Amino acid sequence: MHADLFATALLLGLFVAAGGAYGILFAAAMLRGSAALRRGASACYALQLLLAFTVCAASPLALPWKLFLAASAAAYGCIPPMIWRLLEAMHGHGGAGKHTRPS
Amino acid sequence: MYRSQKLALRYFAAAITLFGVMTAAGLLSALYYLEPTLLYNVFDFQMAKILHINTLVIWLLMGFIGAVYWFLPKELGREVEGIALAEVLFWVFCAAVAVVAAVFVFVQYGGSNQFSMWFINQGRKYVEAPRWAALGIVVVVLTFVYNVTMTAWRARRMTGILWVLILDLIPLTVLYLDAFPQITNMSQDLYWWWWLVHMWVEATWEVLIGCLMAWSLMELMGTSRRIVEAWLYIEVMLVLGTGILGLGHHYFWIGTPSYWLGIGGFFSALEPLPLLGMVVHAVYDAGTHRMQTSNRPAFYWVLAEAFGNFIGAGIWGFMMTLPQINLYSHGTQWTVSHGHFAFWGAYGCGVIAIVYLVLQQTRGATAFDSRAWKWSFALLNLGILGMVGGLLVSGITQAFYGVAQGGATLQAFVVASENHWFQSGMYARFAFGVLFALGYLALAYDLLSIGRRARVAAPAQVSAA
Repeated sequence: MHADLFATALLLGLFVAAGGAYGILFAAAMLRGSAALRRGASACYALQLLLAFTVCAASPLALPWKLFLAASAAAYGCIPPMIWRLLEAMHGHGGAGKHTRPS
Repeated sequence: MYRSQKLALRYFAAAITLFGVMTAAGLLSALYYLEPTLLYNVFDFQMAKILHINTLVIWLLMGFIGAVYWFLPKELGREVEGIALAEVLFWVFCAAVAVVAAVFVFVQYGGSNQFSMWFINQGRKYVEAPRWAALGIVVVVLTFVYNVTMTAWRARRMTGILWVLILDLIPLTVLYLDAFPQITNMSQDLYWWWWLVHMWVEATWEVLIGCLMAWSLMELMGTSRRIVEAWLYIEVMLVLGTGILGLGHHYFWIGTPSYWLGIGGFFSALEPLPLLGMVVHAVYDAGTHRMQTSNRPAFYWVLAEAFGNFIGAGIWGFMMTLPQINLYSHGTQWTVSHGHFAFWGAYGCGVIAIVYLVLQQTRGATAFDSRAWKWSFALLNLGILGMVGGLLVSGITQAFYGVAQGGATLQAFVVASENHWFQSGMYARFAFGVLFALGYLALAYDLLSIGRRARVAAPAQVSAA
């Protein structure tokens, strides 16, 4: 039980780290119009979902925290694209000319 | 240059000096874990720790105050109101800090009486300065609030950043009054004390550094006021939305009602989300400018702030914030690891960035670059990464062997402290602490020298031509 909780703590850290890597790679992909970076971003987000699933399925956390984590994983998926759109709207859409969506 | 900007430079000099004292005291504190009998009964661990934490608070506070004195006259196009009083109080502030530090070093502690509280140590963690000095801090902060509000009032002009700053200064001042009560019930005492510690760090300071970063980004990257102000409002909304009730994660185990487990866990677990937005924004800004700027040190330190804040506060915080895990992690080196990383990312990097930004303007250097800043940047960040890594290993060992398995008894604490993983983590922390200290020396050297040679060289070239 104790060892499970400590493993959960590390998984939660990795969960946020994967979310951060997704955000960074997503932004970099949008800046450079790079499909490879976009795939890297998707892989990081997939890893984050996998970590969330592992914690929800196998950790001793109470149910409300597992539900919170599931909702949180969904939020992580939305934040980078949402922030990006907001940034482009604020700075003037396509103003820099190079912020193109990767094909 | 305005008088208040000259005052800002003095504040920065004092801040960077105290940063050095903090680093030295931190290194000494780390050494006690390797040599527990070091300076026994001469200068014990708790005094080094008090010096380390109090100088941390004061150097950042001085950095913030200096930054506001720098940006305010530019924002409003006039001298700061009451500048003469502010100048006098700067020296009073420095003298008070020196006297308090001398008392901590040479007197250290006294009896459990009013005299000790007023003149030696107030006895409240992180705000140990004796009461006379605590009152002095209130006077300095009130003068600072007066300077800012009256300058805006006399200028008959308000900007979005100034509105946020002035509104933030009210809780910043009021919350410090929590340093004063003498409540004998420990749960109640801690309940209010956390309002000071948490709300300063995770609410009012966050907003303050947000205002300072807004001004910095306008100067560093030429970002428009409309954009930085819009982001500032969003940040204030998100930080306060998650940060205020995130206070609850300090209420888990101090005798407060159990509903704080849910409230504190939920809101503090939300805290990484706005930080993720900040990271995306940082990548956007870096990409838009293609990492090109006339002030690379400031630019890189701004980036370090965004990433450090996300990793230190977001990742490290989320690992241990849910109550089921926090039951074991609180009060261990795990928490210390999170604290070091979060403070460095959220505030330390930001203040250093602002100092570089200001120095470029005062030294009139168009290209602001050096080798020393790269060394300091690398050593300081590598040092902090190694330190928090070591502390994390030690903290998890303590939490597992000392708390989870041992039941948090004194015997279990000793057993965990003798565990080789704990000790290895502590050695790593000290070794990387030395790197951090070297980084500080490189930073101090660079701040003294960067931009000066270019300024001297320019007239020489003209005369040669």
